[in-house]
Amino acid sequence: MIAFLKNALDAWRGVGEHAVTVPPMDGALSPNQIIEEAPGILEIPAPDNLVALAGRILFSSGPEVHELQLQGAAPSSKIVQRFEHDVSALATSVAGVLAVGLDDGSLRIFGGKHDGMVRKQVAKLDIRCPGALQFVDEDTLLVAIGSRTNPRSGWKRDLMERNTSGSVWRMNLADGRDECLGENLGFPSGLVPLGNGEVVVSEAWKNRIVRLGGPGKVTAELQDVTGYPGAMSPAAGGGYWLAVFAPRSQLIEFILRERDYRTCMMAEVDESQWIAPTLEPTRTFLEPLQGGALKHLGILKPWAPTRSFGLVVRLDADFQPLFSMHSRADGRRHGITSCLEAGDRLLVTSRGGNLIISLPTQDPNGE
Amino acid sequence: MSLSENYARIRTKVFPDHILGEILSKTWIDNAIPFFFLILTICIFGATVPNFFSQAGLTDQARVLAEIIVVVLGMAIVMLGGGIDLSVGSTFALSNFIVLALFNWLGWPISVAIICALLAGGLVGLVNGFLVGYLRLRAFLTTLVTLIIVRSIDDTLVLKYSMLVGMPSTTSAFWDYLSFESIYGFPLAFLIALVTAVIGHVYLTRLRPGWHILAVGGSRRSAHNAGLSVRRTIASTYVISGVLAAAGGVFYASRLGAAGASTGVGLEITALTAAVLGGISLGGGRGSVTKALLGALIVMTITSNLVRLGFFSGASALVLGLVLLVAVAVDVRWLKNRHKVLSSVYVSPAYYKMVPCPSTEEGSASPYAVNDKLRDVELIGLGEIDGCEDPILDIDDNLFFGNREGDIIRFFGPDYKKWEVYAHIGGAPLGMAFDQAGHLTCCVAGMGLYQVKKDTREVVKLADETKRSLFSIIDDSRIHYADDLDIAPDGKIYFSEGTLRFSTLEWMIDALEGRGNGRILCHDPKTGTTRTVVSKLRFPNGVCMAHDNKSVLYGTTWGCAVERYWVDGPKKGKVETVIPNLPGYADNINRASDGTYWLAIVGMRTPAFDLALRKPGFRKRMVKRVAQDEWLFPQMNVGTVIKFTESGEVVDCLWDKAGINHPMLTSCNEHKGYLYLGGIYNNRVGRYKIPGADPNYSNQGRYWGTKA
Repeated sequence: MIAFLKNALDAWRGVGEHAVTVPPMDGALSPNQIIEEAPGILEIPAPDNLVALAGRILFSSGPEVHELQLQGAAPSSKIVQRFEHDVSALATSVAGVLAVGLDDGSLRIFGGKHDGMVRKQVAKLDIRCPGALQFVDEDTLLVAIGSRTNPRSGWKRDLMERNTSGSVWRMNLADGRDECLGENLGFPSGLVPLGNGEVVVSEAWKNRIVRLGGPGKVTAELQDVTGYPGAMSPAAGGGYWLAVFAPRSQLIEFILRERDYRTCMMAEVDESQWIAPTLEPTRTFLEPLQGGALKHLGILKPWAPTRSFGLVVRLDADFQPLFSMHSRADGRRHGITSCLEAGDRLLVTSRGGNLIISLPTQDPNGE
Repeated sequence: MSLSENYARIRTKVFPDHILGEILSKTWIDNAIPFFFLILTICIFGATVPNFFSQAGLTDQARVLAEIIVVVLGMAIVMLGGGIDLSVGSTFALSNFIVLALFNWLGWPISVAIICALLAGGLVGLVNGFLVGYLRLRAFLTTLVTLIIVRSIDDTLVLKYSMLVGMPSTTSAFWDYLSFESIYGFPLAFLIALVTAVIGHVYLTRLRPGWHILAVGGSRRSAHNAGLSVRRTIASTYVISGVLAAAGGVFYASRLGAAGASTGVGLEITALTAAVLGGISLGGGRGSVTKALLGALIVMTITSNLVRLGFFSGASALVLGLVLLVAVAVDVRWLKNRHKVLSSVYVSPAYYKMVPCPSTEEGSASPYAVNDKLRDVELIGLGEIDGCEDPILDIDDNLFFGNREGDIIRFFGPDYKKWEVYAHIGGAPLGMAFDQAGHLTCCVAGMGLYQVKKDTREVVKLADETKRSLFSIIDDSRIHYADDLDIAPDGKIYFSEGTLRFSTLEWMIDALEGRGNGRILCHDPKTGTTRTVVSKLRFPNGVCMAHDNKSVLYGTTWGCAVERYWVDGPKKGKVETVIPNLPGYADNINRASDGTYWLAIVGMRTPAFDLALRKPGFRKRMVKRVAQDEWLFPQMNVGTVIKFTESGEVVDCLWDKAGINHPMLTSCNEHKGYLYLGGIYNNRVGRYKIPGADPNYSNQGRYWGTKA
């Protein structure tokens, strides 16, 4: 009862759970234009899911899996495989096995001893939304299911429905015994297996990175990220790269607390025109505009409020930010969904910018 | 329509929320609280105290009130200067003793006695002023010490000589008059107090030293930086307070003619309570004589009537203390939160359901279908221009527009490379038109309707006010946001005022209200008067005389419509809709050479914003919770130009698809085969060659029949 009253009071005053404040981009997250200024490698529609497979670099583009070819005068790509549905997650094992999660909720294994395996369920639960995949060993695959109800491509709706129905599973490919590592997660979309059997997961809707250490044991490693954390990949020299695929903003935080408006918006307005985070920079005038994003003298300010940006954060081994690389409101290379360190550079996919970009692996502004 | 939307529609229609914000933004609102409190006290005591309103009772009270008023005035002046004077009670008692001693005991003339008493008060004030003003001691402690010292001097004197001073040895007609008589029921002392108050009001509001006091109280540092003598000003407030407290003592002496140990005890609390209760801020700089009077009246009513009601003697002090506590709390909280309250209640969204938005899809059959006709628009003055709401051309092909700095800029034709500041008006010059004689008439947001004379370039004000409407809270006699105009052949100037509720820089916030806050006005140069012809419009913007001069066309920006006001013919005085559903926000309208009209659409409707207009509660909460830069706004980064016929049929549409060449469109003007495009936040003027347009057409030439 007291909790209910407190909640009602907070809602009226706009504090506590109902506050719409967003942490500032400060310290290690101080803005720069590195992503915007870095060399683009390959223009291709909606690139995502960069993975390394036995010396090759694979990524997805819509329903296709491509191999990135960096040799030669100009980087190019060739199609490795094409599916019926969009690819939503990729993972590779040491032995060269490729696991593909598709937007129809199926999981397919190519190569190795489980070649040809198709899974649609994990422990009788429909996979539906393969958010991230990660091999632990040849028989063990970690699966992050983003949502019980929405496919991966419906992530915007899942956020707007305020779902926290995601779960993380340890899937045994050999005997089919699957183990649930965590439930009721807010759209898990990045996985890092730790050596001790624990798994670190980025929970996009809760803007945090958590460590799952057995049933019910959830420890926050990094909280209150200024965006929606997505894919994570290991960095050379310890630590990780974190792709933050969309920014938080006061207006969106506010929308998330306005059920009536949100419901009507989802029912009446086309998804691309929602007041919601997005992977693409503004494309049409039918998308909502915030006051600070009004062009003055033909210029959109880089610090204008935005629903999309590009952000890659370098995390240390304890998942604390060291430095970050940005594409800001005035840029086009938004929606960084995956990152892969290859040699002395970091490859990232900008889904909104339809581009694969090569970034430095060291902080260009650091000592 | 859902139940909640129905509720929101009726709710915002029935309850005029916007009035609350308008009342709170009034300067007199600070007086309203004490005034209502006064009415309340009078009601309470009027109902409970017998004979409250009787003549005798009121005259008696007026005598006491006179004393309180002058003391409170002194306290108020010190507080306005940022200080506090606790010694008023002691000064009051000392003055009482001095005037009685000199007059009764020593037999000096009463005038000399009074002057000596006032001087003594001034001296105490000077000591305070020197210590607080020049030596910068803490006002509270310093005046507390003077309170004690003066009180002990007074006590010593009273102990020794109270018998002597109580016996009059001479008489004076004036003194008797002051003591006993009254003019039309008002005691002389009361009238003197009122005159003092009037002088105090003039002093504070009209005279330099009074302004200095307010400035020093408002911000000591700023006053110092502005070159004011802060120390002397502060010292002067204490001297004034001392003299006024002494004047109170003189009135007291005239009323009771006795000096006792309890004279003026606790008066500083009474005065302080009255001042704070009246709304004179403890922090300094805010307050007025009226507030001091209100406060004095309230305190006086409370104290004297509690006694008359037969409460025990400590009760009035207790009540006074509690009232002071409440008043101080209100003062602190109100001052701190006033602007917050105002900003959170001022924007008051209403329910507004937009008509369905027509399609703009590229390649569709819609007349608004996106194309790329403006992609290769020629640019004039790129980077040299800071805002161009409405470019117009004279018959010699020169280009004129107003910029953000309040200048009228002229680009010289025919190549538009060179430019000059044609005239400086100030404000934000928006819509413009030439009259028959070639004078440039201009709507200036924040100022009104102005004209730049053709040859002398003299700037003349045509109109900045109109009649105030009967029930408006906000002062609608002022023309706040003159936007665009056109001139009828008879010389009458029709112009629009976008919004009455927001300033030049906040015009887009008006969109969040979804309420008709604007109007169309008509200025008649023959009589020099301006009247409202259509009111409660959703940001009326472009104004244009129809080709037959029988009606005025105007666009309503947030209404996304074009409307027509008949000025002649059978429908004279009527309003009708020409285009009910634009895909964007209508801005300036101008005549085209082929008998149609050009309309600039400044921004496009977005489904998210259209939906928000149906949710007033949502917008209200957004305004309260979300930072202003993050508010959902109408989409103003892309605009278009359409061409429509007399009947409202859209026949052409010009887009800059990428929105890079010409990001914003607020106006378009056809001249000799070209369309000149302006945007209020643009750094360029666009020039588009209209295929097949009359190469000799000029707006001014055709309309006024003048030849180039």
